[in-house]
Amino acid sequence: MALLATLLALRKDARILKIPPYLSAFCIIVGVVWLLILPLNEYSRNTYVSENALLPGQVHTYFTGSEHNVFRAYRQEVAALAGSSVDQRSKRLSEIFQSNNLKVATQKYSYQASGRNISNENVYAVLQGPRADATEAVVMMAAWRNMAGDINHSGVALVLSLARYFKRWSLWSKDVIFLIPGDSTTGSQAWVDAYHDSHSPDTIEPLSIKSGALQGAVAVDYPAGPWGHRYDKLHIMYDGVNGQLPNLDLFNTAVSIASGQMGIGCTLQRMWKHDDSYQERLQTMLRGMISQGLGHATGPHSSFIPYHVDAITLQTVGDGWHDEMSLGRTVESLFRSLNNLLEHLHQSFFFYLLLQANRFVSIGTYLPSAMLIAMNFSITSIALWVLSGRSITTPPNPASTSNKDKQEKEKADVTVVKKDSAVAIVPTKSLETVERRLSLPLTFVAISHFLGLLPLYLFNNTHESYLDPIFYAILGLTGILPFATAAILQSFRRPTPQESNLIQCFSLLLLGMFLSALATLNFSLSFLVGILTTPLTFIRGTKNKIFAIIGSVILAILNPVVVIRAAVFFFGMDLRQVLVQAAEGWHVWGLWTQVVVWLVWWPAWFAGSVVVSGGLFS
Amino acid sequence: MDQQKALLFGAAAAVRLFLFTAFPSLPSLLAGRVEVSTPVTSFKRLQEGLFLYVHNVSPYDGGVYHQAPLLLPLFSLLPNPSHYPFATNLLYTAVDLLGAHALMLVADSGQSITTRLSKSSRKDLRWNSAAVAASFLFNPFTLAACIARSTSALTNLFVLLALAKASQGASITFILSLSIASYLSMHPLLLFPPLLILCYDVRASKSKVAPSPLSFTIVHAVALVVTLCGLLYVSALLMGSWEFLSATYGVRLLLPDLTPNVGLWWYFFTEMFDSFREFFLGVFWLHVVSYMPGLTIRLRKQPLYVATTLTGIFAVFTPYPSIADAALYLSLVPLFRHLFPLMRYSFLASAVVLYASFLGPTFYHLWIYAGSGNANFFYAITLVWSLGFSIIIGDSLYAVLRDELDVERPELRGKEVARI
Repeated sequence: MALLATLLALRKDARILKIPPYLSAFCIIVGVVWLLILPLNEYSRNTYVSENALLPGQVHTYFTGSEHNVFRAYRQEVAALAGSSVDQRSKRLSEIFQSNNLKVATQKYSYQASGRNISNENVYAVLQGPRADATEAVVMMAAWRNMAGDINHSGVALVLSLARYFKRWSLWSKDVIFLIPGDSTTGSQAWVDAYHDSHSPDTIEPLSIKSGALQGAVAVDYPAGPWGHRYDKLHIMYDGVNGQLPNLDLFNTAVSIASGQMGIGCTLQRMWKHDDSYQERLQTMLRGMISQGLGHATGPHSSFIPYHVDAITLQTVGDGWHDEMSLGRTVESLFRSLNNLLEHLHQSFFFYLLLQANRFVSIGTYLPSAMLIAMNFSITSIALWVLSGRSITTPPNPASTSNKDKQEKEKADVTVVKKDSAVAIVPTKSLETVERRLSLPLTFVAISHFLGLLPLYLFNNTHESYLDPIFYAILGLTGILPFATAAILQSFRRPTPQESNLIQCFSLLLLGMFLSALATLNFSLSFLVGILTTPLTFIRGTKNKIFAIIGSVILAILNPVVVIRAAVFFFGMDLRQVLVQAAEGWHVWGLWTQVVVWLVWWPAWFAGSVVVSGGLFS
Repeated sequence: MDQQKALLFGAAAAVRLFLFTAFPSLPSLLAGRVEVSTPVTSFKRLQEGLFLYVHNVSPYDGGVYHQAPLLLPLFSLLPNPSHYPFATNLLYTAVDLLGAHALMLVADSGQSITTRLSKSSRKDLRWNSAAVAASFLFNPFTLAACIARSTSALTNLFVLLALAKASQGASITFILSLSIASYLSMHPLLLFPPLLILCYDVRASKSKVAPSPLSFTIVHAVALVVTLCGLLYVSALLMGSWEFLSATYGVRLLLPDLTPNVGLWWYFFTEMFDSFREFFLGVFWLHVVSYMPGLTIRLRKQPLYVATTLTGIFAVFTPYPSIADAALYLSLVPLFRHLFPLMRYSFLASAVVLYASFLGPTFYHLWIYAGSGNANFFYAITLVWSLGFSIIIGDSLYAVLRDELDVERPELRGKEVARI
């Protein structure tokens, strides 16, 4: 009780308002350092397979010998289809599946995004497991074209030959679905949407045959042409749409089979060379975080993960001595493991950051860093709230000897505060809470959040050819808007310092809230946005012109649109391509990153900028 | 004033009809959210009951429909909402507007500030009725409940009507609306004692001779019982049997449906061993009910405040609360604008409620859709949500007691008080 009373008494202490900026800075620094120490051995763990039923690499694989001849034959068949139309291709692929006594179906789909029409056809076949009751299924797929747009010759051929090979085994206790999507991202999205009956029936065909609940999906990306290509490593891609990840057990099983059983090295996040040094671990982690933060589809597997179907893509990279049969045996062994599953993968982690193929950080270890960043906004927001309740005029010093003060001294209203044995005389003014004027700040923050809807709509519904000009128009507009708003506000309804504080208070409160909620869904995005918005904690509306100019310049650089342009430049991408991908993501994959940018990040930046640039016009 | 009111109501109706028509999938999306629709208020379940009813099957067969029988003939008059939703949408919009109108009547009566026996020392600090109505009409929770077409919107309307009529001293309409509200959701029955006092106070201050408290109470209690029995009897005639009692009030009392909601009961009772179930049902209900006599006696001079606080208690501690109940409480709180300067945790409480209302759907998503969380995630957030409302309730109780003290002991005004 005494402690509580002391804490309550502390609320009245003027010094307590000096702490929050330091506390916020401390949170940010700890948050960033926290992330940087994660690659150390003490903070990360070796991966392990939690689900005992998987038994990775415990079976002998038989996909060898004469199967190689079958594979080469199919590869020639696939190569012969390279220049043919979609219908011819689907017809021929269906024939091959049918010749192996599998049930085959096709699915046509078309999407509209940025004025482009994306249409193609999926072919898939269902192998009914001899020991299965059609309640569960696993998916093996090879997209006709991979993410780079190359024809996936050997990948498709491998799926065809594995289909023929699997059909002869009697040990399948789950149905196996062999899927050849027309392209890497939209095709698998259309298929998995239709599998769960959540497609839009106007443009996407429903599936004529289905099996049970999907337990896992593995995609093969092996674009070597008709004469083959020996590869060096397997690149395992695991990011799903919106930064969701597959269960870590699936990834671990693939790594353990490929490297333990087959002797193929595994790599991730395009880290072709990885010597397990601190820098490389950190780089892998940061690449993983950026990829997760962007939330885009990284392969045919990505669309499955939002449906709670764990999925990965195996991509062959480099020049080495591993051939197509070792990839085939890896996939075979992986499916034998999945075949053992008694229940949906649930044992291992769903939230993790991978540092290397066999090292990871789990959510309990890394989440505090994003939460600390989000918390710094909440702390500042609370501080600003308290500050806005304090009276602005400093009470005259009762002990002052100057004449003017002396006259007021008699009037100065004081309160005697007694605490235990100590007695203090405090000017009453510093104890009072000023009535807060909430209507302008609340309206302003609400409007700035609604303003974000405009660019969100424009970017998602504009024709491809206008995306570039619109981007630069919005870049210019958002650059000017804070100054214009501040100037208008100053001339019509000059916000008091209290109102400026409250605008910032509410905006930071919302930002902190959004980011902490987001951290549980997409840690990386929350962290990245949090880092880019940290200056908003420290800037204040000030009358000092120099501070106002410095603050405005810093914020002008951290304008979300400017940051996007700079990032596109830094990573050497094409702006229009990025915008088209984003619009495609919105219409096809259900991507949410734009919403976060325009309805969380941009409004917070806007509110902060208006408050700072208000100082220029006062 | 009238122009302002027309503008406000027009805007509120426009927003609702716009949301209904511009986003045709929004109502069914919201109707499926556990935060908005509970088993006893869900519109989807109402449609199921309606389907059975128009096909001459008892709507309570199948154990899906748990709402009052008289809703069925009302909604069967409307065209099928899955094909022609406009009539239903219009009905729900009208329900909200009528609720706002009732709230304005309450605000205009001034009973929240000056009652027969008490007079706040801060009586000049008040919002006009239009502002109070706006805070009800544009509250996102009210909007969500309206768009989801949850039947708690109807309960809210009748509770607000009962408050309005009681604060005008109109006995007959007060009893009628309160009995309909209780008939629909049972727990508004607990509002009877404070509202009776409110009605009595208003009548006593209006007439020169105060009516006898005893006969006033007896007459009103008998009237309430008669109206309720009448409603139940008509329901039984309509259904052809009394089985609806166990399917509606039985479900509300005994909690057989453990679908998650924003309240505190469902998780507790999923974890419960069956042998303790009856005991804890009793304890939980006793807890909810116990607030009513305590508050009514202690704050006998401010019955409207007691009724408001009880709606807040319902939003937290009843078995099937939803955000519609929270919306009702939050819309009544602005009537007590004069208490705001005395509330110490308003920022904390609003931040907690705000955080919870964003983290709740997120954690529910992690649990149900992403599969990467579990029930504890969502339950933790419902605890935070309830904590936020408990802070508001507790803080406003402090404020009202402090305000009372300021009236009784003006010399203590502005001084720190400590509990001894």
